[in-house]
Amino acid sequence: MAAATRRTSQRLTLLMLVLASITILTLDYHGEVSRGITHIRNSVRDALSPAQRGIAAALHPVGDVFAGAFDYGALQTENQRLQDELGAAQAKQEENDFAGRQADQVLALDHLDFVANIPTVPAEVLSAPTSNFQYTVEINRGTSAGAGPRMPVVAPRGLAGTVLQSGGDTSTVRLVTDKSSSIGVTFGTGADSGSAIASGQGLGEPLSIAELVGASPHVGEVVFTSGTDGGAYPAGLPLATVSSVHVSADGLTVSVTAKPLVDLQTLQYVSVCEWLPQA
Amino acid sequence: MTVLSWARFAGIAVVALIVQVAVLDQIVVLGAHPDLMVTLVGAAGVIAGSARGASMAFVLGLFADLVLPTPYGLSSLTFVLVGFGAGLVRSLPGNRDGRSTEWATSVAAAAVGTLLYAVLGALVGQQGFLGRDAVYAVLVVALGAVVLAVPAVMVMRWIVRGGERAASGFAVPTGGSATR
Repeated sequence: MAAATRRTSQRLTLLMLVLASITILTLDYHGEVSRGITHIRNSVRDALSPAQRGIAAALHPVGDVFAGAFDYGALQTENQRLQDELGAAQAKQEENDFAGRQADQVLALDHLDFVANIPTVPAEVLSAPTSNFQYTVEINRGTSAGAGPRMPVVAPRGLAGTVLQSGGDTSTVRLVTDKSSSIGVTFGTGADSGSAIASGQGLGEPLSIAELVGASPHVGEVVFTSGTDGGAYPAGLPLATVSSVHVSADGLTVSVTAKPLVDLQTLQYVSVCEWLPQA
Repeated sequence: MTVLSWARFAGIAVVALIVQVAVLDQIVVLGAHPDLMVTLVGAAGVIAGSARGASMAFVLGLFADLVLPTPYGLSSLTFVLVGFGAGLVRSLPGNRDGRSTEWATSVAAAAVGTLLYAVLGALVGQQGFLGRDAVYAVLVVALGAVVLAVPAVMVMRWIVRGGERAASGFAVPTGGSATR
């Protein structure tokens, strides 16, 4: 009797929690409540960003060099002092190289010819994707710096993604390789160069451009944003290079895979283009 | 569960979220990272039982969704089912006292939770949730849980049993004289 009552109570608890979850999930799709939830999420991200910054600094490559030196030293005690010196020198060298690479990236962001006259907000990537199913990164600029939802995000070599949501001090950027990402593209900047939609296939995977009409791309050719997919991106942003071309058996359609120009797995500095799509 | 247990749980949930965002999210293998939150859910079910485990899983889901770009409530829904299921596995005859069972159930719950999250995500219209990436995510989360499940189970035991022990310390013993 007691066991049956306990089972009923457990099932009731499960039912109530499932219903509560579904209610919250449903509310997230409704305007006013969704805005409130987004506001709370952005505030939490802003609050967590100092911890993210701190840990990112702690995971600096220099740490790896020291760790390597410690492991080796445990096996050859008599060479410890020399190894420490070598480790320190390597660490210094690594630090200098790292700082140099950072400086190069930041400087490169000052000369983004392809964004023309669009004002940009430089930003640093705070963290890798928070979801195992969506490819987004957090950056350290939000609405207070001028960044906002739907703005394109570029790196020195081309388009990296688009702002999904923005808090006061941070923003979430959906990368071009995310599977929900689709971008109007063209091969070359000319009007007769053909246009299509490039779809993300996941991090580390090339973009897929299917059923091309009016273009005959070749491997190595650069793919640009066309600016015609409802105006979601400005035209002429470099996106990827064609890595393979497949012609259908009937020869009527062409499918292409294209490797993003920006190395999204080591993305560190980006610029948010203060440009909004037409409504 | 006592007020003390819930207070401990809230603190652990906040710490776990920070560790997830600041540390574990940076460890990317095959495009996926270990997931402490879902591992804690499995541990909660195993240690606290179905109903209490599901309640704790619901709260953990609300916390986890704060930093995810996916619809709010999706993690809660997934976690509730996983936490309840882990509690049921724990209540099976012969599974009550084994530490290795607690650990294995937590690891399995993390893997099942990740898969269930992908399925439910696809059901609510999220693109790209099912496919090769989901397989990688399940694999990486399960491997991560092999390590994370040990502290997760310990922490959940501290929350649930520690809180109850502390509360019983203030209670009048039953079945005997309190003035002995």
